[in-house]
Amino acid sequence: MRKFTLSCLAIIISLIFGALILWLMGKDPVAAYMNLLQGSGLMEKAKYAARQNMFTDFMSFIDALTPMIFASLAVALALKGGFFNIGVSGQMLFAGFCAHMAAMFIPSKIVVVIVGFIGGALIGALIGWLKCRFNVNEVVSSIMLNSILMYLITFYINTFYVNPVSRQSKAISEAARLTLSRFRWEGLRIDIALAFPLAIIMALLLHWFIQRTTYGYEIKASGLSPQAAYYAGMNVQRTALMTMTLSGALAGLAGVSYFCGYLASIQPGVVPSMGFDAIAVSLLGGNNPLGCVLASFLITVISKGSIYMSSSQNIEQEIASLITAFILTFAACSAIFAKKGRK
Amino acid sequence: MLDMIIIDGLSFSLPLFVMAIGGIYSERSGITNLALEGFQGFGAFTGAFAAVYLSGIFGASSDVPYYASFIFAVIGGGMFALLHALLCVKFKADQVVSGVVMNILAMASTSFLTKRINTSFFGNTANKFMLGASSRITLPGLSDIPVIGAVFKDIYPFEIMILVVAAVMWYVLYRTVYGMRLRACGDNPHSADAAGINVYAVRTVAVFISGCLSGIAGMSFAYSVSANFSPDIYLGYGYLSIAALIFGNWNILPALFACLIFGFARSGGSAVIQELGLPSSYNDLVRILPYVLTLLLLVFFSRHNRSPRALGQIYDKGQR
Amino acid sequence: MSEPIVEFRHITKRFPGIVANDDVSLSIMKGEIFAVLGENGAGKSTLVSMLFGMYEPDGGEIWVRGKKEHISSPRYADSLSIGMVHQHFRLVSNYTVAENIVLGLEPVRKLFGIIPYVDMKKANRDIAELSERYGLKVNPEDVIEDLNVATRQRVEILKMLYREAEILIFDEPTAVLTPQEIESFLKILEGLRAGGKTIILITHKLREIKAVADRCAIMNRGKLISVLDVKTASTDEMAKMMVGHDISFTTERKPAHFGDVVLDVQNLTVRNHAGFEAVKSVSFQIHAGEVFAVAGVSGNGQNELADSIAGLVKPSGGKVILNGHDITDSSVREHIQAGVAYIPEDRHNVGLVLDFTLRGNFPLRLYDTPKYSRKSLINYAEFTAQSEKLTAAYDIRSARGGETIAREMSGGNQQKAIIAREIDMKTPLIIFMQPTRGLDAGAVMNIHKHIVAERDRGAAVLLISLDLDEIFDCADTVAVIYSGSINKISPASEITTDETGLYMMGVKTA
Repeated sequence: MRKFTLSCLAIIISLIFGALILWLMGKDPVAAYMNLLQGSGLMEKAKYAARQNMFTDFMSFIDALTPMIFASLAVALALKGGFFNIGVSGQMLFAGFCAHMAAMFIPSKIVVVIVGFIGGALIGALIGWLKCRFNVNEVVSSIMLNSILMYLITFYINTFYVNPVSRQSKAISEAARLTLSRFRWEGLRIDIALAFPLAIIMALLLHWFIQRTTYGYEIKASGLSPQAAYYAGMNVQRTALMTMTLSGALAGLAGVSYFCGYLASIQPGVVPSMGFDAIAVSLLGGNNPLGCVLASFLITVISKGSIYMSSSQNIEQEIASLITAFILTFAACSAIFAKKGRK
Repeated sequence: MLDMIIIDGLSFSLPLFVMAIGGIYSERSGITNLALEGFQGFGAFTGAFAAVYLSGIFGASSDVPYYASFIFAVIGGGMFALLHALLCVKFKADQVVSGVVMNILAMASTSFLTKRINTSFFGNTANKFMLGASSRITLPGLSDIPVIGAVFKDIYPFEIMILVVAAVMWYVLYRTVYGMRLRACGDNPHSADAAGINVYAVRTVAVFISGCLSGIAGMSFAYSVSANFSPDIYLGYGYLSIAALIFGNWNILPALFACLIFGFARSGGSAVIQELGLPSSYNDLVRILPYVLTLLLLVFFSRHNRSPRALGQIYDKGQR
Repeated sequence: MSEPIVEFRHITKRFPGIVANDDVSLSIMKGEIFAVLGENGAGKSTLVSMLFGMYEPDGGEIWVRGKKEHISSPRYADSLSIGMVHQHFRLVSNYTVAENIVLGLEPVRKLFGIIPYVDMKKANRDIAELSERYGLKVNPEDVIEDLNVATRQRVEILKMLYREAEILIFDEPTAVLTPQEIESFLKILEGLRAGGKTIILITHKLREIKAVADRCAIMNRGKLISVLDVKTASTDEMAKMMVGHDISFTTERKPAHFGDVVLDVQNLTVRNHAGFEAVKSVSFQIHAGEVFAVAGVSGNGQNELADSIAGLVKPSGGKVILNGHDITDSSVREHIQAGVAYIPEDRHNVGLVLDFTLRGNFPLRLYDTPKYSRKSLINYAEFTAQSEKLTAAYDIRSARGGETIAREMSGGNQQKAIIAREIDMKTPLIIFMQPTRGLDAGAVMNIHKHIVAERDRGAAVLLISLDLDEIFDCADTVAVIYSGSINKISPASEITTDETGLYMMGVKTA
């Protein structure tokens, strides 16, 4: 409960901060913040383009939200087990890439999900294995793997799999894509995120898994005190490996819902920043799966709604990521208040 | 061709090296620093802004903007680093989290501010500051020596700057009172405190220094690799320098060695690819090398690698 | 021994929930050894810490050399020539002896007359000279992590002397030393007094006070009870004042009735992390109804011995047989199932998950059994029931009962929780590793009663302790471990503490 209060506080302070900047730029903060909600389909806009309304906006908001939920769950699970999974970006990229490759042979949504799950899990397992077997710090190996995977995939895309016009990877076939793009219904064109229900199910499942099963008890004990967990007769190494594998798998689902859903192609040369944002989102959500859903919701409102805010207020879209960064900064600071409160 | 490898290798290694020194300062004082990436970007941003602004005053041909830009990059990187210090030292935030957040914040704020400044100062809406590549110097005489003469050929002025800074930084860390106290803080802050040392101050200064040095690195990349400042400066060089400092076991000279390997692997790889007539996308394969090397090193030598003992631990004076 | 050098006047210090010092006034004379005696939590460390600037008093005044001082930091205490050796040494492990001593007050020379650097040559010379002068043998160029505890303590003392401290504070200096090392430490104290230093000694060991101190302040629950002249006061009198009531120092117990052999350790050899043989071919047997106590100086293989019998570390040779079953190579869980309860030395990092609730900590070693979980699903009702049962039966006190985070509990209650959990497993073998370290006399008595009760229940008890009083309070059989080997096993009634001390030092071998 205290965590929840602190997160809310971080959000409120940041929004005030952001409002101040908007105000200094001579803009109306209230209108700008309302634009965020409008852009995310949570409030009615003044007017809509053809075949669009608030519902279509909301659906594309959900489309953007889905990978963020998976990614923050990946971070939260790892943190419960005492791991700092800074490699979610690399795992997303790898899973998305594998799914693209698989979809060339079997264009099926199920295959994309399964391949993404396994692809992410493999990288997560690799990090866990390096930690258990060779005691390589997971933060360091994750950073190295992020770069290694990014360059490998960039090389492959630019050499064999590039769309010469967009300079991105080729697009995944619609049959395999996890988002039904521009689906016609009642005269509207809607983007439907098919993986969204899966994200919600995963959040609930993870919550139950951590709270109610002996595996969850093992993960938490190993994360908080590996020595005590070992003394308790737990197989700490196996638990660590399992935690990182599952975390990687969740990151993989984030990867496919991002690169094979929200987007249809992979941009070479960059790691998705969502993997880093997810760390902070998970922090904001108190490392609780349900909290992660709420925090993802908020952060996605800001990032998704910023496009509309930018156009209707004539301000730089980057202000949205700035506000997000503020929230994350304050959330990071809140640790001290949490500790003070406990004493 | 060998000349090219040496010239390009050095011009990439040295900025990496100066940033790694910054990382060493921070981590030897006990503060984990994943924020180098953000520091170098923010430093490059302030430096580039100063350069563009000043070249409007002094004219494009003047050398003033070039040198002033490094001074401003040092200040900008340092100031931004103070935020990391504030979070880690004062607010006792998790240092890894703080590092990640700093990178996000640097990227968001510099992208926003670049656009904003371009709009209000220079009347355009670009997301970058154009700088042009730095001029190069060739030292007469020395550069005529066969093979190693290339070391003195076509060098960027910032390379000389970095070597001077590095020498000073080495001396400060290993020979002076401050350096001795800094390293003590990273091993056992409680004993440093008991010896009357202000651990918070030492660490804050160390993080500040890491920001300053990263600023030099960011500005160097802006003047060499990209010839401008744009959000594309966040290419992961900060993480590469972290790899170098781990590779170097948190010591300056071995870190230099690591940076040189990384730099020459990169320039050598590019040269080989050019020679074989392969498309430039093959360069990305070469870029993997430093990361793989570091990972392998960690796998095989993790036991010999000793990070500072108090690294990443939150130090609270009240807790005894 | 004429004028007071330090005066505490009506000092009061409060921490949330407790008054650590309640209107304490006393004065310490120049050139004396002044002991502050009291149980853990009596407020003696708090009082003296204020003199060293680690806390500031809420009320009252501190006068040093006839002047009222606000000692706001250790640095300021330093400027008043006050030095302190803490219970946990404050040394930089990868620095040399000399580097540690000069840290914060480094000799500086200038390169070419302008560029300053730390002159380590001078530092080494100075330290060598200083150690010579006070007879504190150290090599300035040794690295701290290679040195033993007694040497590290000498480094800490040299640190104070290097700073020309006149008032030297020692916080429980002998807790980690052997009887013989204590002897030589007390000689050092006398040497320092002869050199004109004033020494403040915080301790709860009466014997040492009797041996060296001139005067002694006795504290109980934050209040100053009395200041005594050590020469004229009796140990019993001091002990009574310290605890606040009459206590008997020995646990009452019935004579032992040994049953069958429960634990049979044969030629056990254990390597530590560095691959070094920490336990070398050790053999012994423990019967049902026997307390088998292992004495020894810290770091002679006790941890490895306990961990290997409890299954946390795999032995590299030999056998551990429990009730006829070979459990040498079993996992930790198999050890638990076979019936090995273990109270580990490190209750913070090993014995408890500090950030779990108390309730979550009780099933820690049995969470996987049908009692607490079925098909991997946790039965929280049983968690709660167990928590209620044990907190009541063992009088474990905490702010919010089972919902209290273990970290927030006092050390004594944390230890009680671990002991309750392990005893409740009702195993044939129970291992107590340093069970009373850092606890106050009341808690110690309570734990000793539990140890004897376990014996009377018919369990085999392995007690490993650095504290000889504890060993002789509980043991039926005393063994001494030195350098990884057990060099003496004897019925407790047939060996004295002094003799045990000689075995602990390896001076005598069986």
